[in-house]
Amino acid sequence: MAKIIDRSISIGEFIPQPDDDLIICRCEEVTKGEIRRAVHDGMYTMTEIRRYLRTGMGLCQGQTCSKLVKGIVAKELGVPADQLEGGTSRAPVRPVEMKILANESEKEVSKHE
Amino acid sequence: MNSSAEVLIIGGGVIGCATAYYLAKKGIEVIVLEKNQIGEGGSSRNGGGVRQSGRDPRELPLAMYAVEHLWPILSEELGMDVEYYKKGNLRLAKTPAHIKILEGLTSRAQAVGLKVQMIDGEEVRKINPHLSDEVIGASWCPTDGHANPMLTTLAYYKNARKAGARFITGEKVLELKKVKGRIRKVITDHSEYEAETVILAAGFESRKIANTIGIDIPMQRVLLEALVTEAQPKMFEQMLGTAEADFYGHQSTHGSFVFGGSSGMDAYTSDYDRPVTTSFTASCICRGIMKYFPELAEAKIVRTWSGWIDECADKVPVIDKVEEVPGLIVACGFTGHGFGICPAVGTVLSELAMGEQPSIDISGLKYGRFKAKI
Amino acid sequence: MKRIELIVIGAGPAGLSAAIEAAKTGMEVVVFDENAKPGGQLFKQIHKFFGSKEHRAKVRGYKIGQELLEEANKAGVNVILNATVIGIFENKEITVMAEDRIVHYKADYLIVATGASENMVPFEGWTLPGVIGAGAAQTLINLHGVKPGNKILMLGSGNVGLVVSYQLLQAGCEVVALVDAAKRVGGYGVHAAKVARCGVPFYLSHTIVKAEGEECVNKVTIAEVDESWHTISGTEKQFEVDTICMAVGLSPMSQLLKAAGCMMIEDNKRGGVVPKTDSYGQTSIKGIYASGDVSGIEEASSAMIEGRISGIAAAKDAGYLSETLFQEKVNSYHKAIDCLRQGMFAPENRGRTDLTSTEEGVLISQSLLTKGYVDETEIYRYPGVRTGIKGVHPVIECTQNIPCNPCQDACQRHCIKIGNSITSLPVVDETEICSGCGMCVAFCSGQAIFLVNEEYDENYATVTLPYEFLPLPKKGDQGKAFDRSGTEVCDAEVVEVRSAKVMDHTNLVTIKVSKDMAMKARFYKAIV
Repeated sequence: MAKIIDRSISIGEFIPQPDDDLIICRCEEVTKGEIRRAVHDGMYTMTEIRRYLRTGMGLCQGQTCSKLVKGIVAKELGVPADQLEGGTSRAPVRPVEMKILANESEKEVSKHE
Repeated sequence: MNSSAEVLIIGGGVIGCATAYYLAKKGIEVIVLEKNQIGEGGSSRNGGGVRQSGRDPRELPLAMYAVEHLWPILSEELGMDVEYYKKGNLRLAKTPAHIKILEGLTSRAQAVGLKVQMIDGEEVRKINPHLSDEVIGASWCPTDGHANPMLTTLAYYKNARKAGARFITGEKVLELKKVKGRIRKVITDHSEYEAETVILAAGFESRKIANTIGIDIPMQRVLLEALVTEAQPKMFEQMLGTAEADFYGHQSTHGSFVFGGSSGMDAYTSDYDRPVTTSFTASCICRGIMKYFPELAEAKIVRTWSGWIDECADKVPVIDKVEEVPGLIVACGFTGHGFGICPAVGTVLSELAMGEQPSIDISGLKYGRFKAKI
Repeated sequence: MKRIELIVIGAGPAGLSAAIEAAKTGMEVVVFDENAKPGGQLFKQIHKFFGSKEHRAKVRGYKIGQELLEEANKAGVNVILNATVIGIFENKEITVMAEDRIVHYKADYLIVATGASENMVPFEGWTLPGVIGAGAAQTLINLHGVKPGNKILMLGSGNVGLVVSYQLLQAGCEVVALVDAAKRVGGYGVHAAKVARCGVPFYLSHTIVKAEGEECVNKVTIAEVDESWHTISGTEKQFEVDTICMAVGLSPMSQLLKAAGCMMIEDNKRGGVVPKTDSYGQTSIKGIYASGDVSGIEEASSAMIEGRISGIAAAKDAGYLSETLFQEKVNSYHKAIDCLRQGMFAPENRGRTDLTSTEEGVLISQSLLTKGYVDETEIYRYPGVRTGIKGVHPVIECTQNIPCNPCQDACQRHCIKIGNSITSLPVVDETEICSGCGMCVAFCSGQAIFLVNEEYDENYATVTLPYEFLPLPKKGDQGKAFDRSGTEVCDAEVVEVRSAKVMDHTNLVTIKVSKDMAMKARFYKAIV
């Protein structure tokens, strides 16, 4: 169940940091500063951050950056990282070419392919 | 903290956020209660179409007003690129039967003043050279387009919040209660809120909530599935659909394609407490797309998603003041095409909440319109 | 749609173990793995595993992998490779991507054993080519025979960072520094010690400030961090490197389970988002199990037992195993896994920094935790380190409670005693006479045992070292001896080199050093 969050409670001003231009999500090239700013724009959940900035929406689907993003968001909100629910996982868990996904086959997968 | 406001909105989707924005901008005190998080329902699970063509005449005024007056200035107004493209909508046909369907839709839309026309295969490929020769014609509405639903929702939210609207997420509304003949109390699983006016815009969940105060809106939940590709080189800017609705979608600013579609079994998926993708729909959508766009065969699908459409009995929403319960305004049953009209809906809902006459004709979207057929 | 009784996703240690157990009961089992080779990470684990006999202690990871594969074949497990499971849907249906197509399968039981992926930490320049995961480096050297670079900085002092650093040294790379922001070495002290004595400097309480380079990394700057993890200016140090390896933890690859709708929990001690499971690995969805790293990061040894437990649980539920037999097996597996989860590195102790003494009450070496080796002033407090014994005798520099006891089994003279609790520190019993066979040296997975003869002759002592580098020294070679910190301490002459099949590539090199170096010399390098 979602935690109750009053979005009007102040988390303070956005204060620039020297490493704000550090790339966190490599697939979508999202920086730490953008993530921190998004929190100040009201994006308080991992999913909202994802939808706002596309973090974790690239080829690796967040396998590399989701922990990093979570850490940054949690710190900005002043909550422990494990209290933030991660983004949703969705099939396919590996990128699949359209023509392969389209090709549903009855032919079983055998040992010698 | 004070848990009362002039207007309380149930549902933090694009309708709730847009309404909160237009109200807060006018200095009205607003609370938005959202069970999950911002834009969790249909607002983040739709194809992003901003269409007028193909719509029922009853909601066409909202669509036309939005396209004419609201969408073009939205990014500027909200200070955030909502990725709006007014580059037209092609509704594609591969068979004479398809053409027939499209001709019907087109002539009905023309009758209410929409600039939409039928074009042949050659003209279609002039507009979008990537389409296969299988396409023999289309309906073409040059003023249609698409936008990014997630960004639009969040942009409304961000600006509403900045303008003073109070958003509380994780608050599940259980019950509405009248006090002295008017709507007054909104009871959640944790707390109780009060407001003079309550706007119910909670997608399919609206029905259950409305039921607690003796109101019913005939709608059902239908699963919708879509897929997203990795970023591709820029190919085209139109919104696409097909006569048979095998798929619809567009290429986003980011370069990825977002395509929704139907497997034909969407109404019969299991009754889960969350929308889940089926094992077969994405494959079906891919086969549909490849017939129209052979060159996308190698594009990689990185994600699929699903959502619920709040399908109304007559496929258009209810946007109305409920006379039986003074102070209650209902906005639900958008049937999968609410996103394109959200700026207009937000505008009229804010007007209704302030007791003003709606500036757009919503007379066909009344709560009391549902009757038995004989 | 083809329906199979049990589908296992992932042919790593957990998945194969689960499949074997279930297949042995007569259950129909298919394992899908996206890789071209089975075994998960096992085949790149060239070091000897810890534990006791039942955990395959002192056997190298890749051999355990070979044994598992043979066992799977014998049990009739069908392992299908290059087959990626891309989704789990309702009613335990899965979609498998193989070559150019998608095939749907249904299972009565699903065991998800998809393992983990490497974490990264961002710093300026972390996206430069040459900044790689330690696991990736290990794959390159041990599976493909390719060095990731020549001059390497390792970030992370957990077991992965330590083990991979050592293997990079074995592959002929130079490890210029081992860096960790934590105050204390995170992995086993014995792993740290074998890296430190090769001369790799440890920088605890340090982090990477930036990596620089045009096309790829060629320079890295580290600096000390304060209590709140901020770098302290003025403490910067620079290294020329061509590779930076990150060994900063693993995250369970639990996406399939999450997408399937299993109830997930956030558990830092288990490495991140893991499914909620019962003691057999069953998730919140009946019939879907999770075992191995996907349900919580641990060692491969525990993953294999977890897999076996899930395998028999599925078999029992399907009616292939009687309740009694199941209870019997599950009890013994639970006992075996509990055994591994004891000691200072037990999952419940993960992240603890307040442990100051061993179970026996011996103070933990501070220099081991901060520099990677036990300082000579501290070494004598441990029960495995006894001096002044007549003749040759073992010196066991095993100073932390880790679950491991092959040394006790190795010694037929009963010089080495651990007792029933396998995390206890080994004790050298001075009343028993050492034969000098060296089996304890070869069997110690931590390479922490040395044979010392302080009375070799009037002026010299000998030290027998475990040696896993090439080329192997020869009798008569002249070289240098190095102490625990990797500092050269004296001349050394190789007086004996022993290799035997049973030692499994842990060669015994006996060096002659001046008498006062008997308790100092712990590594040998030839003079180049």
